[in-house]
Amino acid sequence: MNWQDVWTLYRRELRSAFRERTIVVNSILMPVFLYPVMMWVMFTGLMFVSGLTDRAHSRVVLLDAPRNHPVLMDTLENRENVELRDQISADSAVSLIRIGELDALVEFAPPGAEGDKLADNFQVAISYDRAVARSRRASDRIEAIVDNYREEWVDSEAAELGIAGAEREQFRIVQENVSSDEQMGALLLGMMIPLFLVLMVALGCFIPAIDSTAGERERSTWETLMTVSASRLSVVTAKYLYVATVGIMAGVLNVTAVFLSLGAIMAPLLAEAGDQFQFTLPFLALPVMIVAAISLALFFAAAMMILASFARSFKDGQAMVTPVYWLALLPIVLGQQTDQTLTPMIAAIPVANAAMMIRDAINGVFLWPLMAETLVVLLVMVALCLMLARMVLQFEDLLMGSFDGSFWRFAKERLLNRNGKKTAGAKQGVV
Amino acid sequence: MENAMVRVEGLQKSFWDESRGEIRAVDGIDFDCRPGEIFGLLGANGAGKTTTLRMLATILKPTGGRASLNGHDVLAEPEAVRRSLGFFSASTALYPRLTGRETLEFFARINQYPPDRVAERVDSLIDRFGIAEYANARVEKLSSGMKQKISIARTIAHDPPILIFDEPTVGLDVMAAIEMQRVVGELRDEGKTIIFSTHIMSEAEKLCDRIGIIHRGRILALGTLDEHRQATGQHYLEDIFVHYVAATGAGGGAAAAIGAPGPGESGQ
Repeated sequence: MNWQDVWTLYRRELRSAFRERTIVVNSILMPVFLYPVMMWVMFTGLMFVSGLTDRAHSRVVLLDAPRNHPVLMDTLENRENVELRDQISADSAVSLIRIGELDALVEFAPPGAEGDKLADNFQVAISYDRAVARSRRASDRIEAIVDNYREEWVDSEAAELGIAGAEREQFRIVQENVSSDEQMGALLLGMMIPLFLVLMVALGCFIPAIDSTAGERERSTWETLMTVSASRLSVVTAKYLYVATVGIMAGVLNVTAVFLSLGAIMAPLLAEAGDQFQFTLPFLALPVMIVAAISLALFFAAAMMILASFARSFKDGQAMVTPVYWLALLPIVLGQQTDQTLTPMIAAIPVANAAMMIRDAINGVFLWPLMAETLVVLLVMVALCLMLARMVLQFEDLLMGSFDGSFWRFAKERLLNRNGKKTAGAKQGVV
Repeated sequence: MENAMVRVEGLQKSFWDESRGEIRAVDGIDFDCRPGEIFGLLGANGAGKTTTLRMLATILKPTGGRASLNGHDVLAEPEAVRRSLGFFSASTALYPRLTGRETLEFFARINQYPPDRVAERVDSLIDRFGIAEYANARVEKLSSGMKQKISIARTIAHDPPILIFDEPTVGLDVMAAIEMQRVVGELRDEGKTIIFSTHIMSEAEKLCDRIGIIHRGRILALGTLDEHRQATGQHYLEDIFVHYVAATGAGGGAAAAIGAPGPGESGQ
């Protein structure tokens, strides 16, 4: 292999790629803008919807409201988002709830035997439709109002009897979040960055892998390329490095964009919502992410190019490579188990190991032996893919695009077939 | 032939087809080509022309026989063969997203033209083919006539001594086909060895110094147009072609009946 040739071919691939709108959009613009913008839009949208929800009226019918609790009645009547409807029978109210014309029925009743010990005590039954969000919200609102009122009322009754609040409560549960703002930020980064990095590296490799194989055939430039004096190995190496480069670029650009937008967009929005997050990364997390992006890109590039090399057209290529993209998503589910760290078993699962390694690094956890295992596993997968690619490209009809079938048919007929006759004439050592 | 730039001896290519079994696309052909001559490979569609030329260009590997270009064996030294060769066919398209100038630079460099002379070479090709006006436009924006000129320039970007044109005028309009024939003639005059495959008889008559008639993977006859006329008693190449093909249909050993060369002979 001549590295000067590889460089010439590699530059040609990149130059063509960055003039192709689909590749620029998928591998650069989407990673840089789409997900950060999407994140901002989603969060702002959620806040907006939440605001609308808070202002939306709950239509409620009260039955047998207790006369000795005027404060509770005032609260219910004056609450902006609660609209009290005229009294009707319980059955009619339930019918209206079922057809969505009423959100909740609140029935006050005398307490049971135990509750009778406290004068003016009462119990509340709320009927609502759990299948309807608006009705659920009405139930929650009424419950919160009544709970709040009862707490205050019991306090005042207890005070009249000379019982201090602490004595009455006996014990109280107090929660305190000891996480720093940085740790909360790391939690969020740890959930988002591994997911985005894996997805973006895979997405970055997707179009170039198809474009550099099936795309060449579709444009009839494949045969042109086969006539240049560079060796087949140089041609394939240049293409492989090009696909991996775009994958790495997409991953790194996206992670940078997500990180910056989390700090610049999400942190202020979350602060408005009452949550404090500070987004910082441990210094060593950066090289870990870059190494992970490179390993993932080398793996995805090899796997996708093998499958795309069976396609005769770009459309075929998309159909053949898409499963790799979705398969890449499955192992990331492991990375979303927030209490999990890298273990010897997870380090042996390709893609999941990289996602977990990144998350650990973001949280400042560096399990060096397991990180080494992760890299070894990914590089072994890359080596296996390259060996498979070499086997596949030894078949001339595949190299020339005249093989009519999928990878699975090829594997069945050629790689697993022990009948030498059928493959005679098809296999010609090429690379 | 002592000074042959292209030497083909008993070249074979078989493919395996699930339904038809083994298919011999090229069945032991022999020919040589000299510097400064246009060797025509004339045959109907499916005769084995493209497969033969692809083997010479090392795109396909022969399943039997030998071939060498500029002294380099196609199996042992494929890269050296491709360095000595410019290959043009209807299925060798240009990269649409490169400009004409970038295309010529790329093909000159990747085919080992001396790096310090690439820019000069590209400029001279742009002048020669009159493509300066659109040399910096992307190929995808050009008309088919413009693309054709860049495509020919691309084929000779590294100044190879041997050129293969596989049905180069297929799909071209009359003027473009004439322009192509003119360029091929010029290249011959510059001393290039040219293999020109076609199924258009008039084109072969007009351009080729020697013509090999190929049918069902075999060369039926090989010689100058005059030699073919003498051998068959026919004047027009179309009639000569039909004569040879009909002879194979008669069931006799075609090569023997019409005096085609045996393995290792040039046919002269």
